[in-house]
Amino acid sequence: MKKVIVISGLVFLACSSLFAQKYICKDGNVHLLSKTAMLTIDGKNNKASSILDSKTGDLVVQLQVRGFKFPEALLEEHFNENYMQSGTFPKADFKGKIANIATVNFAKDGEYPIDIVGKLTIHGETRDIKKKGKLVIKGGKVEGTSAMNISLANYKVKIEESYKDRIDDNVALTMDLKYELYQAK
Amino acid sequence: MVRKINFKIIVAFILLTPFSVFAQDDSLMNLLNEEVKPERQEVEYTFKSTRVINAQSIERMHQGQLDFRINHRFGQLNLGSYELWGLDQAVMNFCLEYGITNWLQVGIRRGNVDKLYDGSMKLSLIRQSKGGIHNMPVAISFFSDFSLATIKDSARYHKDTRDRFAYTNQFIIARKFTENFSLEILPTYVHRNLAAFDEKNDILALGVGGRYKLTRRLGLSFEYFYANNSKKTTTKYFNPVSLGFDLETGGHVFQLFLTNSLNMVENRVIAETQGDIMKNGIYFGFNISRVFGGKKNKE
Repeated sequence: MKKVIVISGLVFLACSSLFAQKYICKDGNVHLLSKTAMLTIDGKNNKASSILDSKTGDLVVQLQVRGFKFPEALLEEHFNENYMQSGTFPKADFKGKIANIATVNFAKDGEYPIDIVGKLTIHGETRDIKKKGKLVIKGGKVEGTSAMNISLANYKVKIEESYKDRIDDNVALTMDLKYELYQAK
Repeated sequence: MVRKINFKIIVAFILLTPFSVFAQDDSLMNLLNEEVKPERQEVEYTFKSTRVINAQSIERMHQGQLDFRINHRFGQLNLGSYELWGLDQAVMNFCLEYGITNWLQVGIRRGNVDKLYDGSMKLSLIRQSKGGIHNMPVAISFFSDFSLATIKDSARYHKDTRDRFAYTNQFIIARKFTENFSLEILPTYVHRNLAAFDEKNDILALGVGGRYKLTRRLGLSFEYFYANNSKKTTTKYFNPVSLGFDLETGGHVFQLFLTNSLNMVENRVIAETQGDIMKNGIYFGFNISRVFGGKKNKE
């Protein structure tokens, strides 16, 4: 009898970790902006995807670099061909967690500041990052936002000397990911 | 009995605990990849500009984009320092090409040889794609051009305006094999209203053009056309062949090359190339392309 209780207890534990609350986002917005006196590079990607585990705080985000759309075709070509080399490095992703997930009450509406910690991969280069963000819980819906600056040189995106007055090393990334509850199929 | 259960608990914990630990990172990313399948993507940037060298490439102007091109061909390379190795003699041609939609480009050109005007259109029919379930292995475009010689009476052209027209119709079938290597073939039909008594008015040709990217801004390009014009004509014609570099500098694309053709309009490049590479019929030439504006993505 005792054996049955123990085993069913274990099975329950195992299951509960399998069915932890997950949230998914399939069409998140990521906006990149680099501004110099000579040139504004303003790209939008509205196909970022992400899963957030509300229990463990685990967070993954990914997007197709080619999905960034620019107002000008030539800008888009140069972004893909000369700088991001998106044919060779098609994806950018983040794997990590929300360190202070315990402070977020998914059952209660409100704004929760979050600490995002993990590995960001851009242009085939992976770097540890630690950034601030925000989770907004409203009526069971979860929206995650974050604004961060990244250095192109840090991800080995090479800007030639002669273009440095046009393309700033510092790029502002803004993320807006609207999650819904994940239903396992 | 009690001991036995304890042992089983320990084993169960050992088996289950690592599972839930490893279940984090990668399984979440795998789940994401499972849920959000990558979409089919158009393969773009197969060539650096709308020309391989003389031949049309699969590239086109997108909606609202305007390409201004200046093309020069110089004299024979072996002319020596007095002619500055051919640079003293130049034939030139400039053109404007505009994308009306993302699948239709129109262009006009003017060249100084025979004061040739021409109008062209390029239709993007099929685009190469990847990443989806059903992908297209190649891109196909159709290119059509007519030229009109507006020079006053010359040895070749007289009063009859009809004689002054010539046409090219061409399919461009291209594939970007790798990030660096692209190849295309060009089945071509050329019709000249006026041809010499021993020449054909209709000429079929098959072209091949390729590009190999050496660095992100520098590419090596080549092209060749096999044309079925007669080899027994009074004026000797040769198959056009060219080899050169594409250099992209942000706003401009420079194409610097060697070719055996002084012509720049398709029907003449293919049907009337006179440079014999075995007899120093090699010329230096360049194309400069500057692309303006254009909204690729409608908001």
